[in-house]
Amino acid sequence: MTHHEVEKYRTPVRVLHWIHAGSFVILFLTGLVLFIPGLAFLAEDSWTRLIHRIFAAIFVVAPVIYIILNPKSMARGLKLAFSWGKDDMGWLKAAPGYYFQGYEEGMPPQDSMNTGQKMWWLMVIVFGVIFVITGAIMWFAKTAAPPAVLQWMVFIHDISFIATGTMFFLHIYLGVFHPLMTESWNAMASGKISKEYAKAHHARWYAEISKDKE
Amino acid sequence: MAEKAILFDATKCTACRGCQVACKQWNGNDEYIPTEPNGVKASNRGSYENPPDLSPSTWLKIRFTEVESGGRVRWLFTRQACMHCTDAACVRVCPNGSLYHNGLGFVEYNKDTCTGCGYCVDACPFQVPRSTRSLLTGIAKMDKCTLCTTQGLNRLDDGMEPACVKTCPPGALQFGNRDEMVAAGRERVGTLKTMGWSGANLYGENELNGLHVMYVLDDYPAVYGLPAAPRVEGVTRAWKNVIQPLGWAVGGLTIIGLGMNWLVARTNAKKEAK
Ligand code: HEM
Ligand code: SF4
Repeated sequence: MTHHEVEKYRTPVRVLHWIHAGSFVILFLTGLVLFIPGLAFLAEDSWTRLIHRIFAAIFVVAPVIYIILNPKSMARGLKLAFSWGKDDMGWLKAAPGYYFQGYEEGMPPQDSMNTGQKMWWLMVIVFGVIFVITGAIMWFAKTAAPPAVLQWMVFIHDISFIATGTMFFLHIYLGVFHPLMTESWNAMASGKISKEYAKAHHARWYAEISKDKE
Repeated sequence: MAEKAILFDATKCTACRGCQVACKQWNGNDEYIPTEPNGVKASNRGSYENPPDLSPSTWLKIRFTEVESGGRVRWLFTRQACMHCTDAACVRVCPNGSLYHNGLGFVEYNKDTCTGCGYCVDACPFQVPRSTRSLLTGIAKMDKCTLCTTQGLNRLDDGMEPACVKTCPPGALQFGNRDEMVAAGRERVGTLKTMGWSGANLYGENELNGLHVMYVLDDYPAVYGLPAAPRVEGVTRAWKNVIQPLGWAVGGLTIIGLGMNWLVARTNAKKEAK
């Protein structure tokens, strides 16, 4: 780390992030082929459905291992997902101006995750649980559960799919393509961001970590 | 091509189960083996009904029902197999069109392209399609009655009747143009009514926009274990008619929105840089 950089995400978090993101993409694609009739020929002979199950297992096991190895870090993360204050309202109000026009004035100081990132993180938790419950019922209770229940599980699985799938596009867009999010990618790739970027985008968090060092 | 149909007259069925045997024989379906993972477990239920349920290799069976009316026990026999619905739930939910209607109005399927998702199994109002399935891997294949139109085993193309109809000794099964079968069915129901069967009815004439297997019954459908008003469930419709368009709409709008944001934000960022 050079002296003008700070560590945004430690290695275990980044490993978890990429394993989870990778399995999400594969689950997304192998689910998509059942969702879009024009692509469904790809699902012939159950292969995509088998892959869906393999990566579903990874999708579930990865965070569980993380929780076991880093319970404190997970607790901190969960706490963050559920701490909402007036700065979050302020962020929501100022966000359109900022993300379209680049007006920084109205943006309140943000934590290590800004309000938008927190919303996505909260979605990942909530819909992750819904995916696992509905998916597990369709997988393991296929012969035991009443047919109507199974049909509702597909329905709810699909709602989660549409919600998280579209927000996933937004997530990638902000992390990789948005003209102002210059170092977002680095934060998750190398784990480090410049002090300037940290100050500008995560002022509250930056103040905290600078204070700790003194 | 004219729509064809089977007319099953429950009042003539003697439950000899010749149709069950002919069906298995023609379609090369082995007996079900209860010890196999997908076999139907046999259990003594105090009935001559056998095998106990439909399975991937049992596409047709006769259900035995005992009912008491007027102090008398009646022993009723019902055909249990695909009804070949016009508004077929299975065709609606099949993700890749492996289930489809053929020119005769029957619901055929292409087993080679079946994905094994099992959505048809859950959607069918008559619990007809069955699939072999590994619960761990999810690998599965569906099977059901095709009214003898299975590729390579198509009797109708060769001008023959379905195997079950061909074999039925008491003539409880007839096969022909659907309108003729409807007429024959109505006539028989009329006769039954004059004989005093006030609940006699022709099941399947209008159910689900017309079934291609119709039943002459001397009593209400429920007595025979048939759903009085079979219907495609709301959740079945919602999947293709609501959820899929919703997915396109939300997905499309998101991508358009992001594209617009990128154009606007980039222009502003460039201005800023200058
Ligand atoms: C986390 C655990 C998950 C499990 C256990 C799971 C399991 C399943 C199962 C059993 C099915 C039914 C089809 C079949 O039998 O193969 C299914 C369908 C599907 N899954 Fe998942 N899944 C999970 C996560 C996900 C995720 C993260 C996504 C997408 C982002 C997703 C998207 C889909 C889609 C689109 C379908 C098709 C539904 C339809 O036919 O409309 N799944 N999943
Ligand atoms: S009875 Fe079931 S399997 Fe047969 S056509 Fe109707 S919905 Fe499909």
